[in-house]
Amino acid sequence: MTFAPALTTLILFLAIGIWIAAILDAVFYRRISGQGGVSVLSPFYAAAAHLSRQRLTTEAPDRLNWYLAIAGYLAIATIGLAVVPFGPETAVIGIKTSVVLWGACESLVVVLVFLHGWSPNSPLALIGAYRYVAIGLPIMLLSMFVLIAAALPARSLDLRDIVASQEGLWNIIRQPLGLPLFLLLGLSLTLRGPFDYADSADLAGGTSVEDSGANRAGWQVARLAMLVGFSAIAASTFLGGYLGPILPGIVWLAIKTLILMAVVIGLSHLLARMPVARMLGLIWKFLLPIAFVDLLLAGLVALA
Amino acid sequence: MTTLITIFLVLGLSVLFTAGLRTASGTDLADHITNPQQRPVLGGSDPKTHAWQRFHVRYYTMTLVFVAFEMEMMFMYPWAVVFVEEGPKALAEMGMFLTILSVGILYGWREGIFRWE
Amino acid sequence: MAKLASQAPVPVFVAQGDDAPAETARLCLNSTLTIVETPRAAAILLVAGTIPASLIPNLHRLHDQLPHPRATVFWQAEPTDLLSEAVTVRNDDNLVSVLTDTRSSLLSGSHGTEADLLPDAPPNEWRGVGSHGQGGKGMMGGTPYGRPMAMTAADFRDGLELDAYTADFGPFLPMFPPGLVLTLTLQGDVIQKVSVVHLPFAGEGNAGAALLRLLGLPALAKRLLRGPSDDADFKRLIRLSGVRAAIPPGLGCAPIGSDVRERFERLTTDPGNPSKVHVDGVGLGDLLIGLEWHEAMLVLNSFDDESLRAICANTSSPEPEEKNGDSMDHEGHAGHMS
Repeated sequence: MTFAPALTTLILFLAIGIWIAAILDAVFYRRISGQGGVSVLSPFYAAAAHLSRQRLTTEAPDRLNWYLAIAGYLAIATIGLAVVPFGPETAVIGIKTSVVLWGACESLVVVLVFLHGWSPNSPLALIGAYRYVAIGLPIMLLSMFVLIAAALPARSLDLRDIVASQEGLWNIIRQPLGLPLFLLLGLSLTLRGPFDYADSADLAGGTSVEDSGANRAGWQVARLAMLVGFSAIAASTFLGGYLGPILPGIVWLAIKTLILMAVVIGLSHLLARMPVARMLGLIWKFLLPIAFVDLLLAGLVALA
Repeated sequence: MTTLITIFLVLGLSVLFTAGLRTASGTDLADHITNPQQRPVLGGSDPKTHAWQRFHVRYYTMTLVFVAFEMEMMFMYPWAVVFVEEGPKALAEMGMFLTILSVGILYGWREGIFRWE
Repeated sequence: MAKLASQAPVPVFVAQGDDAPAETARLCLNSTLTIVETPRAAAILLVAGTIPASLIPNLHRLHDQLPHPRATVFWQAEPTDLLSEAVTVRNDDNLVSVLTDTRSSLLSGSHGTEADLLPDAPPNEWRGVGSHGQGGKGMMGGTPYGRPMAMTAADFRDGLELDAYTADFGPFLPMFPPGLVLTLTLQGDVIQKVSVVHLPFAGEGNAGAALLRLLGLPALAKRLLRGPSDDADFKRLIRLSGVRAAIPPGLGCAPIGSDVRERFERLTTDPGNPSKVHVDGVGLGDLLIGLEWHEAMLVLNSFDDESLRAICANTSSPEPEEKNGDSMDHEGHAGHMS
């Protein structure tokens, strides 16, 4: 694939992914709460409803960062998706160090979510911003350990090689601890459920408490875009990405991405969120040692 | 080079998309945001001061331990690539490194840095 | 655009007053409405029940925070003087259709958006003497953009002198019991001081659903509001969600006799019969001071209405403003506090 069609594919993949993610979210929510069905057009209605309202700002806000936080979050999600190979040797950003680039994207999410809570100069948003950093940072360590573990058998930091190395056996079987740990990062990156320390209900919406109109629409779109980007990365790292019989590679990637999106959304509606200090202890004392074990097992398997 | 261009292109497109949302949302609505509209949300109460402040960050010490691990990550990237060639020696070396860092976690735990103190 | 937008659920922010209709909490079960968390996301402000005179200024401030186009609907309540034009609903049956119609006519423009109730002026006079127009001397002096900056105070735990943020919170915050107004002093996200400005309203409690929402389980909260709690499916979902593990043991226990975990169990399994707590002489300060924000909100929402009112009544009212940390301020803005 040459560059222009690859980029078009990427944007289409992202747009359709966002649309489906929004519907899935509504379906899970309604199913669990015991309500009726969802219209497939409901995301468009919701977007139009947001855009029909005025975009408000607060007293002396940081306008530039407010704007950049929303645009940047969307950009980071898209870059995450861009390193995902759509087929053998084809990724919009095809570099030898794509895992490192994704790691940089993960850490920039913490910065952007913080800026989003910082910029309105509003107390509830500010608490959400600072609190998110406490969880956003250590959860990143887990993801880096499991990604490094996935890189071991591939002998490469290139996501294309990591997918190719799963030709015989997917990483989800070879490294069973990896995907569950990585999904926790997904919950944190997309500000969802048990890891939603930024936009949570105890802060009346946290960092997005002051978002109205276009800002609210933009932030929601960016969150869903991050879910698509993350799920595609996870599908490539643990479920063999584009690998699969008969169907074209991109269809397999789309199917696996969809499954992981559904899993993340399901978890976000079904798991309770604990107070931040408790979660901090859980990550450092319990989840991080599990990530060590994952790395150790992956290393032993790679050498065997 | 193409990577950099792609990244800037994506960034540019995202900025344009966000700008597009802003222009798409009702230009016929009142553009002027009045002072009472700008008051930060406190459920109907009026804040006394600005929200920006020297915030008491309770997890400050935790971030120091985090930095140690992030630096270690930089060594892990090249390590992952050569791991299979180097064999058990590489595994033992990284094991030692992680053990030393884990002592830091245990020490921090004893000092209570994972609590909200 | 307006046509698409009118297909979406109506975003309603509920300002709950005294004697709010019992159906208020269950409005969120109606799929043609979304009950939003912040006025910024709402098109309609629904005032349910009577707002006491002392809270009417708060209602007016809240009203002005909604983005245009906006409308107010009073449900079983008298419109306030400034909002006499607003839609009023007496009969329960047609509330949802009134809300839907109001939103449609807002979008089509046949119902003009409501203007601000408060004057368009900065909260305080500020264009002053400083080089950046901050209106005072020194780094923290003056009232830049109409408000002073927070001033330093020692943290009660470690004595670290960082900015203490003091403000009134409530009465229309979704994570507060309706009607409750607290003056909180925060260092970061930890509560340092608490006093009660306005007691929560008495009424039918929905603490179980409120707690589930605070624990990040809004879908399960709806399910609890919907009906019989002897639903085995619901019980299994609650168990699997790890709520028990999520609530720290001993939270909100000290002089009360039961902790949040225990109270939560009672609220979700047996809502009609909340666990009795010993509230004699216990104030909010005993429960909330030193807690992180999320923990504090969990504690606040774990009581039945009667006990919470008793606890709030035991808590001191705020001191007169000038005494309260303001004495440390420069004289520059002493007269500006509104």
